[in-house]
Amino acid sequence: MYIIKNAIRCILRSKGRNILIGIIALVIAISACIGLSIRQAAESAKESALDGMSVTATIQYDRASAMGNMSGGRPGSGGGFPGGGFDTSDFASIMGSSSSLTLEEYQKYASAESVEDFYYTLTSYFNGSENFSPVSDEVESEESEEDSEEKSSDESSDSIFDGFFGGIGGLDFGRGFSGDFSVIGYSSDASMTAFVSGNASIVEGSMFEEGTSELVCVISEELAMFNGLSVNDTITVTNPSLETETYTLTIVGIYESSENNDFSMSQFGTSQDPANQIYMSASALNVILDASKDNSTTVTDDNGMEKESEITSTLSAIYSFANADDYYAFEEEVRALGLDDSYKVSSSDISAFESSIAPLNTLSKIAGWFLIVIFIIGGIILVVLNIFNVRERKYEVGVLTAMGMKKWKVATQFMCEILIVTMIAVVIGAGIGAVSSVPVTNALLEGQVESQTSQQAQMEDGFGRPSNVGGFGGMGGVPSDMPSDMPSDIGGGKKPFGGMIGGATNYITEVNSAMNLTVVFQMIGVGLLLTLIASLASVLFIMRYDPLKILANRD
Amino acid sequence: MSLLSLKNISFSYDKTPVLKEISYEFEKGKMYCIIGKSGAGKTTLLSLLSGLASPSSGEILYNGKNIAKIDKYAFRSRYIGVVFQSFNLITKYTALENVILSMDVSSCKIKNKKQLALSLLDSVGLDESEANRRVLKLSGGQQQRVAIARALSYNPDIVIADEPTGNLDRDTQKEIMEIFRSLANQGKCVILVSHSSEVASMCDERYELVKISGKKVI
Repeated sequence: MYIIKNAIRCILRSKGRNILIGIIALVIAISACIGLSIRQAAESAKESALDGMSVTATIQYDRASAMGNMSGGRPGSGGGFPGGGFDTSDFASIMGSSSSLTLEEYQKYASAESVEDFYYTLTSYFNGSENFSPVSDEVESEESEEDSEEKSSDESSDSIFDGFFGGIGGLDFGRGFSGDFSVIGYSSDASMTAFVSGNASIVEGSMFEEGTSELVCVISEELAMFNGLSVNDTITVTNPSLETETYTLTIVGIYESSENNDFSMSQFGTSQDPANQIYMSASALNVILDASKDNSTTVTDDNGMEKESEITSTLSAIYSFANADDYYAFEEEVRALGLDDSYKVSSSDISAFESSIAPLNTLSKIAGWFLIVIFIIGGIILVVLNIFNVRERKYEVGVLTAMGMKKWKVATQFMCEILIVTMIAVVIGAGIGAVSSVPVTNALLEGQVESQTSQQAQMEDGFGRPSNVGGFGGMGGVPSDMPSDMPSDIGGGKKPFGGMIGGATNYITEVNSAMNLTVVFQMIGVGLLLTLIASLASVLFIMRYDPLKILANRD
Repeated sequence: MSLLSLKNISFSYDKTPVLKEISYEFEKGKMYCIIGKSGAGKTTLLSLLSGLASPSSGEILYNGKNIAKIDKYAFRSRYIGVVFQSFNLITKYTALENVILSMDVSSCKIKNKKQLALSLLDSVGLDESEANRRVLKLSGGQQQRVAIARALSYNPDIVIADEPTGNLDRDTQKEIMEIFRSLANQGKCVILVSHSSEVASMCDERYELVKISGKKVI
């Protein structure tokens, strides 16, 4: 107790020195408070954004990682595509093995505790028939020309893909763009996220029954108008590989979609036009797929290659989580359930969220570095000041130890002095920081957001349209590794077809409160850390002092 | 039984012998004077007696116990009171605070420290207003009195003073010596270190130190 009393007495008797130490500690405290508040604001913004956010995720083959692990480097490294040192057979093997997990595997991972809901879609491609054609951009008068151009376009499109994939063994990675229509089978009502979110709605008839095996479907308003169809009419779709294999579907509903239908992928075929998407139950689609499998024969394609006529499908499974924590827990759970490292778990919701807080995160990182610099500089100044302080008070140390006061007690008194001064500075600094942290954070954040948006604008100017640089992970996009044939409403229904269309990121531009109890505790930690740093040198000096020598020199 | 015994103690500074095989006994109720010329090792002996330094060889026994085996800090803060030649007071403290600090350091259970400190300062001739004055604002004689009061603050058995009258005028010297005499009369062992024969003449026993060549008791 007397140590604290002595410490207070010494502070009061050496005002000048302690005010100097206090000012330095105050500057550090204010800086630390603002820095910590910025970091806390980022954390709070994250938490509040994640709180109550429902998250969907997929499991995908991690091609990038697999290619990264390949001997000979990444494809295209050095500017060329499959180039020197790159083993095309490896690449082919990786790409060939990129088929999705089976439904059974997806279902196994759906048993993870964190999963709230699980649903999947099947996508297959069909051609039309005599009385059922896909919606097309081309005008009727140019039909003949269209035919040749379409073919040429297809060829061109194919040649792009052939150039891309053909050189590695002519693999067909299930592109499946060869049909006129995309037929998407949904496992449940919940999986029809566009309808769940209100981005699409039935305008005539009704949605097919959940899980029905009847060959019923809903089609888009545009497609119905284009073919003069209405509810209860039937449509006939054909196996693209075998014209004689046809299936008749009954239209039970016609939908309209408010999603972006500015279709700009004509080079990939009409099946990629959202207007040419036909929705049905996954069970019903499976009936068709099973029938096609049963009737499969060997056919020769346009390139003279032999293949099975069986209609193939792409499976896309979506896991839904109650919150982001469950999503983060999911990856560990699926690894425990046996998912190997060549697959990864990803979420477009989380990607979009991460994009939205990018400026705040950047600011948080800058604040972190700023804190480190302040600590280093401030710490050095405090250490130097305290070394001078102890040397100046060497005689006092000598007297106290000669009187029988143990060195550690003397050191404790010196530490208490620094602690008291520092804590006073921290309290004042926290007060000033609390008042100034919000406006300072918002001002800095504004700068960050401006910087990010101007970068985006620059890219858009350069491309003449929203650019796709930086992957598909922007707000409203799907991750860049999402299968390219994934239906547009996969992954929450709120997302347009990935970054190909792109969308403005809704950045967090303002924080309302930056200071909270966590920051207060952190500030106390700052005070203790400063005390520890500042007093470390003085403690070492005190422990080395010999009272006899000090007093003898004084005499 | 003697209170403090020196058993063949020797001490060297960097291999230069300062004290050689000194043996002596100090008893309660007596006033001793260690005399000698400059460089004879008086202050060194005081440092050894007060536990600030350890002898190169030999033993110092306090109540029969080797002080090397006692916690030096406890020995200095409870059993022996030292009045240094230059007083060694904490200059930014008042006289009263210096005395109270000494009580605090000793960890002795004292009920009313302030009252006891004031009475001690009064007993050495300092009134309350002087007691509440910063040490630097006191005269040499007053500082000497504060140092004595501080040495007595935890009621030690032994009081050692280095040149207690060195910088004082004759009247003050006399007063200070009277204080030491009264302490001896109270049963304390008072050891004064001085080069003054006048101080030595006022003590019960004298021990003269000569430069390493020898020593003698007068």
